[in-house]
Amino acid sequence: LCKMNKDAQMRATINQKLIETGERERLKELLRAKLIECGWKDQLKAHCKDVIKEKGLEHVTVDDLVAEITPKGRALVPDSVKKELLQRIRTFLAQHASL
Amino acid sequence: VSLFQAKSCICHMCGAHLNRLHSCLYCVFFGCFTKKHIHEHAKTKRHNLAIDLLYGGIYCFMCQDYIYDKDMEQIAKEEQRKAWKLQAFTPTVVSHYQCTMTGIGEKYSTWEPTKRELELLRHNPKRRKITTNCTIGLRGLINLGNTCFMNCIVQALTHTPLLRDFFLSDRHKCEMQSPSSCLVCEMSTLFQEFYSGHRSPHIPYRLLHLVWTHARHLAGYEQQDAHEFLIAALDVLHRHCKGDDNGKKANNPNHCNCIIDQIFTGGLQSDVTCQVCHGVSTTIDPFWDISLDLPGSSTPFWPLSPGSDGSVVNGESHVSGTTTLTDCLRRFTRPEHLGSSAKIKCSGCHSYQESTKQLTMKKLPIVACFHLKRFEHSAKLRRKITTYVSFPLELDMTPFMASSKESRMNGQYQQPTDSLNNDNKYSLFAVVNHQGTLESGHYTSFIRQHKDQWFKCDDAIITKASIKDVLDSEGYLLFYHKQFLEYE
Repeated sequence: LCKMNKDAQMRATINQKLIETGERERLKELLRAKLIECGWKDQLKAHCKDVIKEKGLEHVTVDDLVAEITPKGRALVPDSVKKELLQRIRTFLAQHASL
Repeated sequence: VSLFQAKSCICHMCGAHLNRLHSCLYCVFFGCFTKKHIHEHAKTKRHNLAIDLLYGGIYCFMCQDYIYDKDMEQIAKEEQRKAWKLQAFTPTVVSHYQCTMTGIGEKYSTWEPTKRELELLRHNPKRRKITTNCTIGLRGLINLGNTCFMNCIVQALTHTPLLRDFFLSDRHKCEMQSPSSCLVCEMSTLFQEFYSGHRSPHIPYRLLHLVWTHARHLAGYEQQDAHEFLIAALDVLHRHCKGDDNGKKANNPNHCNCIIDQIFTGGLQSDVTCQVCHGVSTTIDPFWDISLDLPGSSTPFWPLSPGSDGSVVNGESHVSGTTTLTDCLRRFTRPEHLGSSAKIKCSGCHSYQESTKQLTMKKLPIVACFHLKRFEHSAKLRRKITTYVSFPLELDMTPFMASSKESRMNGQYQQPTDSLNNDNKYSLFAVVNHQGTLESGHYTSFIRQHKDQWFKCDDAIITKASIKDVLDSEGYLLFYHKQFLEYE
């Protein structure tokens, strides 16, 4: 229980630093661009359309869509993109070693 | 902005930043969506509308879904645009597809048609599909009397990706007093013709007439130099972008932001080093093309001076093997001893001293045009130099950069191959060739379509060409395009 809190606290601190320095926004933009480039956005868009067709436009809510496509979205992120972002975050942490 | 966001954009219940934070539209309350904190707030306070802080969507707790209101969407779009501009972060996203020259510092937004545009689309239902094999953009040009010099430059320009995108997205707003004399408008029409899908050759009589009007030295039916035409055309286009009809307006190349300058203008650095005090005097001049001397001309080509690429080159002349474009560039950027007859006044020594001069690239243009000086017009003779120069499909300009020279001078002889530094890599996309002699010759061009398909343009005749055909050709004007485009 103690370790879990420590991890959560660490995560919060890192997050705070990322936001303060504006790095989080930069990472988000980078991720956004990479996901468009590798076709991920198109894949999920197509999946959304399928879900809407299945459930009917009148009956589907945004929450339904989020629930349906989130697992697929997470699974479809290419390893190369994950690697690249991890590398960026590692570099960032190394630069802000005072954490 | 980031600091403020970090401290105050948090859920009022659990302090989280993420989890789809929403803001209540009735009072000051932020709550996460994922953990349902905003839902709790809505229920207890009966505040049924909240806004998603990330995307600006409005959620109605009664309908239990996001609702769409045109006015709110307009406001959200406008606020997002302003916020993006405020952020002033420089994304170093290096990506072919993401480069949109929508104007400096504007966020990419998807196109939404206006009422008029919807009308036009409905009245014109025919659609064109661009497949990887389609030949759209390819069109022959009729020779109007020794105008092949103009035709091949037109082919190169209509296949310059950024220029094509500029014109096809209708970005030119005419500044000229009389639009009928605007060369940029004519180029726009030309692009429309090329991408219309018509397969018959186009007759560029209006273009020719405009060129004759604005570049008098090119008028007449004799054969002209394609390189001269390129420079004259770029100059007229650059002037007309600013509405400068007769060259009277102050020519300030450093402040021009027209599409021609954005694409073609580079910076050439010239360093003159005094041999006595070693003081360096530096100037940077804009350029649209690089003219390269060739072996076989009356000025000796070999040997290339030592130190021109960081490696020690012995004084022997390198006669074996073919001359490459890189050889020519090395020679172009070599330190040149100016000799005792060309002493420069040194501001450090306050006297005339011998010096060396060296050229390097300060800033590379997006499209680099290399001009191989095949036509010799010295006092003694006029002839064409037909020495074969091999040029690559991909070119790395790093060794010729001013920054590389500085690193070498600071003792960093080993340039670590920085795989992330793609800034200086170029791809060939057009080649203009001259066949024949100085007195009677003919110009043709090779242009690149899609990623790896090449076509030969011989006035009205367009034929498929192999990469080998292109690379084996003599080469007169070589057009290279930066591989990766970055935001500034």
